[in-house]
Amino acid sequence: MTISRAKIPQPSRREILALALAAGAAPAAFAQTSGAPVRVGGTLSLTGPLAATGAIHKIVGEIFIQQANKAGGMLGRPIEWVLLDDQSKPDLARTLYERLITVDKTDLIIGPYATANILSAMSVAQRYNKILVHSTFGIPKLAAYERHFPGWPLGPNPEVTVNAMAIDGILSAGKPVKTVTIVTSKFPSVNFLAAGAREEFKKRGIAEAAFIEFEFGARDFGPIAARVREANADLLYMGAIGLEANQLLEAMEKINYTPKNHLYLYPAPGPLSLSPLGKDALSLTIYEDLPPFNANPQAAEMAKLYREAGAKAGMPFVDPETQAGAGYASWQILTGAVNATKSLDDEALTAHLKKNGADTIVGKVRFDGPGNYGDDLMRLKQVQDGKWAVVWPKAVQTPGKTIVIK
Amino acid sequence: MGAPRKNYAAPAGIGAAALGFAALPMFGAWPFAESFLYLLFFWIALATSWTVLSGYSGYVSFGHGAFYGVGVYATANLGAHVPVWLCLLAGGLLAACLGAAAGLVVFRVKRLRGELFALLTLALAIVLGTVILNTPIDGGPGISLMAVHLPRIYNNASSTVYLLGMLAAMASLAAAWAVQNSRLGRGLFAIADDEDAAEILGVPTLRFKIAALALSAFLAGAAGSVHALFVSYVTVGETFSITVPLFVLLMSVLGGARRWYGPAIGAVFVAGLTNLLVGGDWALAARALIGFTLIVATLYLPEGVAGLIEHKFRAREKPEPRRAPMPASANDNAPAPAPISGAPLLRIEDIRLAFRGVRALDGVTLDIREGEILGLVGPNGSGKSTLINVISGFYRPDAGSLVFAGEDASGDEGHRRARRGIARTFQIPRPFRRLTVLENVVVAGEFGARGLDHAAALACARELLEFVGLAERADALPAAINLHQRKFLELARALASGARLIMLDEVLAGLTPSEITTAIAMVRKIRATGAAILFVEHNMRAVLALADRLIVLNQGKIIAQGGPRAVISDPAVISAYLGDDDAQP
Repeated sequence: MTISRAKIPQPSRREILALALAAGAAPAAFAQTSGAPVRVGGTLSLTGPLAATGAIHKIVGEIFIQQANKAGGMLGRPIEWVLLDDQSKPDLARTLYERLITVDKTDLIIGPYATANILSAMSVAQRYNKILVHSTFGIPKLAAYERHFPGWPLGPNPEVTVNAMAIDGILSAGKPVKTVTIVTSKFPSVNFLAAGAREEFKKRGIAEAAFIEFEFGARDFGPIAARVREANADLLYMGAIGLEANQLLEAMEKINYTPKNHLYLYPAPGPLSLSPLGKDALSLTIYEDLPPFNANPQAAEMAKLYREAGAKAGMPFVDPETQAGAGYASWQILTGAVNATKSLDDEALTAHLKKNGADTIVGKVRFDGPGNYGDDLMRLKQVQDGKWAVVWPKAVQTPGKTIVIK
Repeated sequence: MGAPRKNYAAPAGIGAAALGFAALPMFGAWPFAESFLYLLFFWIALATSWTVLSGYSGYVSFGHGAFYGVGVYATANLGAHVPVWLCLLAGGLLAACLGAAAGLVVFRVKRLRGELFALLTLALAIVLGTVILNTPIDGGPGISLMAVHLPRIYNNASSTVYLLGMLAAMASLAAAWAVQNSRLGRGLFAIADDEDAAEILGVPTLRFKIAALALSAFLAGAAGSVHALFVSYVTVGETFSITVPLFVLLMSVLGGARRWYGPAIGAVFVAGLTNLLVGGDWALAARALIGFTLIVATLYLPEGVAGLIEHKFRAREKPEPRRAPMPASANDNAPAPAPISGAPLLRIEDIRLAFRGVRALDGVTLDIREGEILGLVGPNGSGKSTLINVISGFYRPDAGSLVFAGEDASGDEGHRRARRGIARTFQIPRPFRRLTVLENVVVAGEFGARGLDHAAALACARELLEFVGLAERADALPAAINLHQRKFLELARALASGARLIMLDEVLAGLTPSEITTAIAMVRKIRATGAAILFVEHNMRAVLALADRLIVLNQGKIIAQGGPRAVISDPAVISAYLGDDDAQP
């Protein structure tokens, strides 16, 4: 399936201006906050196995609130984030959302990070009919609550659309890509996309040279590397989480094999771009600190503040990308809806978002499709000269960059 | 193992707590309170389930994630098709089957004790997680339980999950209490201290371990089944995370793994802290505090908080008045002295046993008659202790038969022989170190040939401690009594079992001359009860004083037998002890 470029919304100057106004990019002098704060409750995985990514969401949330409070906050009142640590545990996330809603009685809630924790929070939100805006929820078909709103615009069927977009991008180079080796972790959100990729490659007539699954947490990629070399396909498609992409590349280097073309879902962006082995590696993104994404003052300021905060927190890679973009977009969606409706009412906010969508740092996000999903805003990026560049679709290509396929 | 009491305060308390917690939603409790309490209940259920096996029997399991995981995936797969209560039952039963099957394999192998068992159970969790991940049970993407229909107790599905969690916790506590105060529990405590000695005293160790593992797995599986409903989306990574068994272990060690309520204390402390302190840096502070507490508990509270509570509580109790020592002859429980009859009580025939090619027993055939003392002597390494081990069922011979009281007992395991009436003492006493002197004897009374109920075993044990002169030390732990007393404790255990044949393995070794005199008198008293005695000893003075007949073993063969005086002057015997040159006339 080919995605029509017309369906991929890009921020226009007008939208960027609207976005800036809605979310508080206007000069602070114009909008002072006063009165009791609007309390927004949420959890993040500040400790436990998801803590590294949780830290990204914490930083962008704090940056957003800092910016928004200078620009009028919510309803002219400052935003106060009641942030709790769900310790990367879905069961605790559920309990903490109960607490935020029934004990802390926060005015609004905002979702945690990661699919399992978001689902736990969603069941609580559903019980209290609370609107739940969340980020990086990986399997849209699991979200059945009518008042959930994703800050990570994957579309309702990313297993189809994301893969179709990626294949479109690869084939746009006009080079013959006839075979693919799919290697995927059993981690739920990547496994789900890799399963969809098998179907998409088949539809495009790209033969599957090998399909290899491994368990999340695997460390020894030697045997997998050997099978990848043996298959020697035109494209290596890897469902990888974090450092798994680098680990496979290093294992392949040991047996003197370099994949002709390679694409990784959800790799650790820093290590992959900085490694010489990551040359020409493709990946997915919804946001990069690159034009046109950062072509507005708010986004530019966010990127600057993010780098400062990231460096201060000792983060190894301080360029904002998908996680930061989705986290920031979630806050924009919630704040924009409150200020547009001048209300904290969950029903009113829900109706507004379903009807109008939201302007965010990652683009115009719609919620009027199945499961409150709209357009799939995933894009293809590639390591070029040691840095990420967005290479597909053309409308969001980093200036001067085009996809490199061998 | 606490002193047995017809005290049902604990189950009544569990029942009252269950009713109180069940009524909580009626009083408009915060949903958060339900949710928070649910997490405590979940960990109480899981930690308590662990202690039923690991705390009581000493078999530390790292595999509770597997049993819990079975429950999780039972609900995840069945929840949309069958009523929830069936899911819980199925989760528990499937886990119990897995536990029993695993137990049938691993508990048969003696070397799989200690850390090997722990690693094996860990491997079980890993293998199971891999299977679930790579089959349609999960397949990789996880399973959402959003479609599971939950009955709405108190008009609220969330309260239903809370109530199910509470019931799982209370059921686990009740089960742990029941096991601790049952024959099964006392057998498990004995296994934890010395499994071989427990088996020889009549504890059916294999059956008890499998039962404990199955029950423990059932409770963990049921808790997992409920938890799947709580989290509503399950993945293999979360479910089979090493965090689950580690937290359970931590809670049990902290609270006290050998008491039914100990893990609950640990669970409330650990889960309470981690789930309440969740803002800002408090989460890290909570973890640091838990770690510090664990270090302190490990160093200073080997029995956990529950152990501390119990010691304090016991210290306040007034000691029970001691009964006056009872003359041995007036011991009502001991059978009346029986004359030596011609009927063989035990007959072993052509017993052969080799260890890696070395023949320890080479065609041994002998009888022991009712009421006699048969002396068994021989140089070191002649096979005396090996023969006792074969008769008691500790070793299985390569060939030969054993008939006891007219019945073929060749294929019996150790505990079955104990139930038939064969008892032994150990050359180096092997009391159950964490059971009191009294409790050590009670185990023998309950599991031995008499098969007494607990109250009768207790009464019998008290009388026998009077008989062997240990009444004043009834509540002491074995480490607090001297060697002489430990040897007499072994005698008391053998007597409590109601054995018809008691094998005394160098019971006089290490004793002072005056202690030996007392011990010889004690052996005579035991014989007066009617029991036959196989008396293995190096001390020839004692052998000649006690034995009706004497058998001499050398290099695994009987080289002489008959009247004691005749046997010790047999040239073959002299040769065996002193060498051929010295045996020449």
